[in-house]
Amino acid sequence: MKRTVPALCAILFLFTLALTGCPLPEEGGTTLSFSLEDVPEFSGEPYVVLNDNQPDFPEEDKTTNSFETYSPLDTLGRCGAAYANVGVDLMPTEDRGDIGQVKPTGWHTVKYDIVDGKYLYNRCHLIGYQLTGENANEENLITGTRYMNVDGMLPFENLTADYVQETEHHVLYRVTPIFEGDNLVASGVQMEAWSVEDGGECVCFNVYVYNNQPGVTIDYATGESWLTEEGEPSGEAEDYVLNTSSKKFHLPDCSGAASISESNRQDYTGTREELIAQGYSPCGICKP
Amino acid sequence: MIAALCIDDNRGLRFNRRRQSRDRAVTADLLRSAEGHKLWAAPSSVSLFPEGAVAACEDFLERAEAGEWCFVEDRPLAPILQKIEALVLYRWNRVYPADVFLDVIPWEVGWRCICREEFPGHSHKLITKEVYLP
Repeated sequence: MKRTVPALCAILFLFTLALTGCPLPEEGGTTLSFSLEDVPEFSGEPYVVLNDNQPDFPEEDKTTNSFETYSPLDTLGRCGAAYANVGVDLMPTEDRGDIGQVKPTGWHTVKYDIVDGKYLYNRCHLIGYQLTGENANEENLITGTRYMNVDGMLPFENLTADYVQETEHHVLYRVTPIFEGDNLVASGVQMEAWSVEDGGECVCFNVYVYNNQPGVTIDYATGESWLTEEGEPSGEAEDYVLNTSSKKFHLPDCSGAASISESNRQDYTGTREELIAQGYSPCGICKP
Repeated sequence: MIAALCIDDNRGLRFNRRRQSRDRAVTADLLRSAEGHKLWAAPSSVSLFPEGAVAACEDFLERAEAGEWCFVEDRPLAPILQKIEALVLYRWNRVYPADVFLDVIPWEVGWRCICREEFPGHSHKLITKEVYLP
């Protein structure tokens, strides 16, 4: 059963107020119980406990009716809270499909040798696929670090999924991405869960998971990143011509740039490092 | 005493005063393994077992005698280390959040693994059972 999602303006309003530290009504009639100011700086642990692990779900949602809701994207294209009452009837019955066509806000395809699997960012499900079977739902995918996805969120998804599979009970489950200001990449996510049939006896948590990657510094406004030990790239903006098909970039007067078809050509002003971070490689002729 | 525990890939036992996971296949295997012997557990573990299958009390680790089994979910082994004749680990082969961890790591204290087997769980793809001797 799908429930009505909250209005976009309400979500924006609530996020803004929540980040100022004001505990105000959130969707579903609950209250955001923390602000980023209360969350300690990332110190190498993937998550911190909020409110002694007590989640905040409305009494009226504590039923055995499964549901899932996803907030509409805001005016910047960002996800809001994803909320479900997870039961076995919502769980997937087939393997996950391709989600590569979704480009969440702040998305960059960028690799670092120090990252498990190389890629810094994953298309990170708010409610994990194993819980509700949502595949390429853009309202359920954010730009998340590999570290947040695997070390931070996955253990909580595992705990919840295995409990539901074992008991066939329900778990109220909400994941709220936390964006500071107009940032395109979330600083982290709040994860809350509560097992319904046993009154939270078996599943009960409320945590903040950091969208960090050890050894990498992230500009959350844009999603750009660099190795922490190397510092922020200081390259100056230049004009380039991109071939969006071959993923090569050229100087504007390069002979290779002149032969790019209109459909694949894109003018770009920015730094060389930015282009490389986006997966482009320099032309071998003009060597930009 | 034979101590039996469930751990995740990070040797975690519990999170937020709750077990990390459960699986009826583990319960069944434990009951089979302990058949003919007394099986002890804490009162908080009783709900995992059929009625009357376990002897439950808070000080079960102190009361268990040689040859008897103890299912341990929420307390350290170090205080009763000398009583342990064998340690049975059920491994979830998953990572869960954890704030309580196994305090005696058998392979780090030189215990011998004499048996390792895998079996499918009800809600876990594959559970590994290992038996260690001091």
